[in-house]
Amino acid sequence: MKNFNYSDENIYDRDILIAIPSMVIAVATLFLPRELASVTIALDGILALLIGGSITILITWMIVKLASRFPQQSFLTYTSLLINKPIAVLLTCFFIWYGILVVSYEVRAIATISHLYLFDKTPIEVIALNFLLVVVYAVSGSRSAIFRLNALFFPIIILIAMFVTILSFRFVVIDNIYPILQTDVKGYIEATKKSVISLSGYGQIGFLLFYISLIRNPVKTPGKAVFGMSSVIGINLLIYTMCITVFGNLATSNLMFPTIELARTVEFPGGFFNRFESLFFVVWTIAIFTTSVIAFDAAVMGLQSLLPKVNKLKFVFFLSPCIYFLSSLPKHSPEVGDAGRLIGTYGLTLTVTVTIILWIIYIVRK
Amino acid sequence: MKAGDIMKRRSETTRSTAQKQSNKQESAKQEFPIEIESSLDKNIESIKQMLGDPQDLVIRELTVGANNIKGAMVYISGLIDKELVNNNILKTIQMNLKHFDTDPLDNICQEVIAITDINKVTTLDKVSYAILSGSTAFYLEGYTTVLVMGAAGGESRSIEEPPSEALLRGPREGFVEKIDTNMALVRRDIRDPNLRFKTYEVGRRSKQKVVVCYVDGIVDPALVEEINRRLKSIDTDYAMDSGQIEQWIEDSFLSPFPQMNDTERPDRVSTSLLAGKVAILVEGTPFAIVAPTTIADALSSMEDYNHRWLTGTIIRFLRYLSAFIAMFLPSLYIALVSYHPEMLPTHLVFSIAASREGVPFPSVVEALAMAITFELLHEAGVRLPKLIGSTIGIVGGLVIGEAAVSAGVVSPIMVIITALTAIASFTTPQYSVALAFRTIRFVFMIAAAVFGLYGIILVYIMVNIHLVNLKSFGVPYSVPFGPVFFKDWKDMVIRAPIMMLTRRPAYMKTNDEKSKDKDVHSS
Repeated sequence: MKNFNYSDENIYDRDILIAIPSMVIAVATLFLPRELASVTIALDGILALLIGGSITILITWMIVKLASRFPQQSFLTYTSLLINKPIAVLLTCFFIWYGILVVSYEVRAIATISHLYLFDKTPIEVIALNFLLVVVYAVSGSRSAIFRLNALFFPIIILIAMFVTILSFRFVVIDNIYPILQTDVKGYIEATKKSVISLSGYGQIGFLLFYISLIRNPVKTPGKAVFGMSSVIGINLLIYTMCITVFGNLATSNLMFPTIELARTVEFPGGFFNRFESLFFVVWTIAIFTTSVIAFDAAVMGLQSLLPKVNKLKFVFFLSPCIYFLSSLPKHSPEVGDAGRLIGTYGLTLTVTVTIILWIIYIVRK
Repeated sequence: MKAGDIMKRRSETTRSTAQKQSNKQESAKQEFPIEIESSLDKNIESIKQMLGDPQDLVIRELTVGANNIKGAMVYISGLIDKELVNNNILKTIQMNLKHFDTDPLDNICQEVIAITDINKVTTLDKVSYAILSGSTAFYLEGYTTVLVMGAAGGESRSIEEPPSEALLRGPREGFVEKIDTNMALVRRDIRDPNLRFKTYEVGRRSKQKVVVCYVDGIVDPALVEEINRRLKSIDTDYAMDSGQIEQWIEDSFLSPFPQMNDTERPDRVSTSLLAGKVAILVEGTPFAIVAPTTIADALSSMEDYNHRWLTGTIIRFLRYLSAFIAMFLPSLYIALVSYHPEMLPTHLVFSIAASREGVPFPSVVEALAMAITFELLHEAGVRLPKLIGSTIGIVGGLVIGEAAVSAGVVSPIMVIITALTAIASFTTPQYSVALAFRTIRFVFMIAAAVFGLYGIILVYIMVNIHLVNLKSFGVPYSVPFGPVFFKDWKDMVIRAPIMMLTRRPAYMKTNDEKSKDKDVHSS
């Protein structure tokens, strides 16, 4: 009968595989090459990306493994089981706050970038509001539908990323990869830190602590999650390498959004489109959208676990104005960037700390 | 006692509305348990009175056997097969001149009448229902039982090629209005003893037969259960087409997308049944409905399976492309011309600008006007009688093609776009899906007018949100793309070689996963 259970909120293992790239790939991917290029020499960022990627995979695995030890239990339930109820509530609140911050940031970021690349006359507020409304529409639907949505959009994101990479092969300058391994240790550490923040989607993988509870039988889930995370690292590696080899380290570190600029160099075969970057960014909107939806939904999910009796829609309609307000706080794009860094640090610290603490308590209690 | 009654009523009021309705219907049936009387004249009088003594009600009185018992045959002239009634009922009774030693009615029923479908009924409403559905009733003096003989006939359409889903290669048979013929057409395709036909009665006054059709052992029993539950909730006087049944039992009435396939083709029904789906045949319409359906079904045609896989796949891709054009092309034109002209190649921008010179409207107005004109022409072409229909083509071609351009109202490039969109929207094999695409196209155009490409992508995201939230009988509409069923992609994204299509769709959760005969599956 599970076919017809309309409140069926269960998801499959492979949904997590797709959900990880969906929530991690977003605005950060657009400027990660700049962040890496600014602290490393030539193509050395690859090393940092690989180290950072391994760390991120480890974190992801820890999160999923931990959460899958408590199948079909919400974050609140198993945290109160491991520690106690008040701290569990506090941690849930941290994650809710984090979810709200992430949505606000993404909404604001998309408005800023659209303003930059698509239309310069339309007010940022209007662009942001429209985007937020679509996010609200998605969140008010069923939760498993969000995962189906990710599955629909994931191939599009991969395709457009591949497309940009393949078409920019023509412009590769091999000399740009030299000198090899000349960065000092400090640079590597800095770059690794930045790549972990970016690859973990500003710490968004922490939301997996919430979502694993939707899987009925999460036995294979950690493996799938690692696989999903690897695909993110693969995409970032590709984009970073292309950016450096096409633009060179110096240019990359000075470009606002190197990935979009990479799309700008691309010439669409057949001459149908000029300015491919507009199209690229429009499609990338989908990636930013899935990220925002998952963050929003995670916040709603946290609230639902705190107040199980309240209707989900009430949370959505309560949170949306708050998010809109928060998204309008930064005055200009450098402030948006600062806000992003703050949120990233907060999110990653929260995720890593909570995971490690819970693991320690779990091992001790066992 | 009174308290007990009240309790009873209370418990009744707390029941769900669906239950109430079914109770109501049952009680309505039991309201007239008028028994057949033993006097023939009184019986005939009462059936006349019940039907209002219509002109086409034939009452043929006769005497039976050597005993000379009075009897009467009652039927409605247009609904019966005259030859059958004359030869196999009337003649046989008249020719039979023996003395009935035992019960004459039993004797007639078992030995005399040469018709297989024969029943005994005892109440007036059953007799009238039988007469109204084309049976012949046989009364005998002194009996409170009536023989009801199924000899329905009358005029009906012969089996023709389905006009709404023509194929170049494939069977040319289509369903007709008679449900028995339709059931036979399906039976001819699937000679499986597990093929099941479950009959329901729909329509308070029309009392139509609705037949739910599935293959036991393949289908998920829960699906049959659910369809059963929904069919029982139908409360209408008369359903003139399966489209009305569809609207009664669909999941979301707000969606522009059809949540069931409608088809005139028995082969489509048969392949769907073997894929674990359920078909619903409705009396009086050649359109069967197949549930559940997904967005991928909407773009596949039966013909894909009849050609070799490579051509089948390419044609399928062509259809995906045309669906894309049908939905996006006018809105892309609006967005590119009015918001992002820099995205087009320079010489194309110049030629567009040159062709738009003198056009007094912005591109949105131009595009909307042309799109609406086209829809008008299309609608007029459907409504007009076939003979005049061709004039619409000429008028439309002139209006859209020549006059509008030379009058400087629209640009030639807009004409190309409108024509391309129109052609593309007709490649969708399912008309109901093509309608949905046409509707959504206008939303895209308005979004493009307001926000350019950004608006298009936002609406595209919204359509996707709608699709993932939509379900057709519990199956997500976006299957097999989301949730991902990679195994099903070989028959959705591409049309893999027929030897590889040995499994029934995974999302259907069929009981019997592998189609043993390696037959084509999934519609």
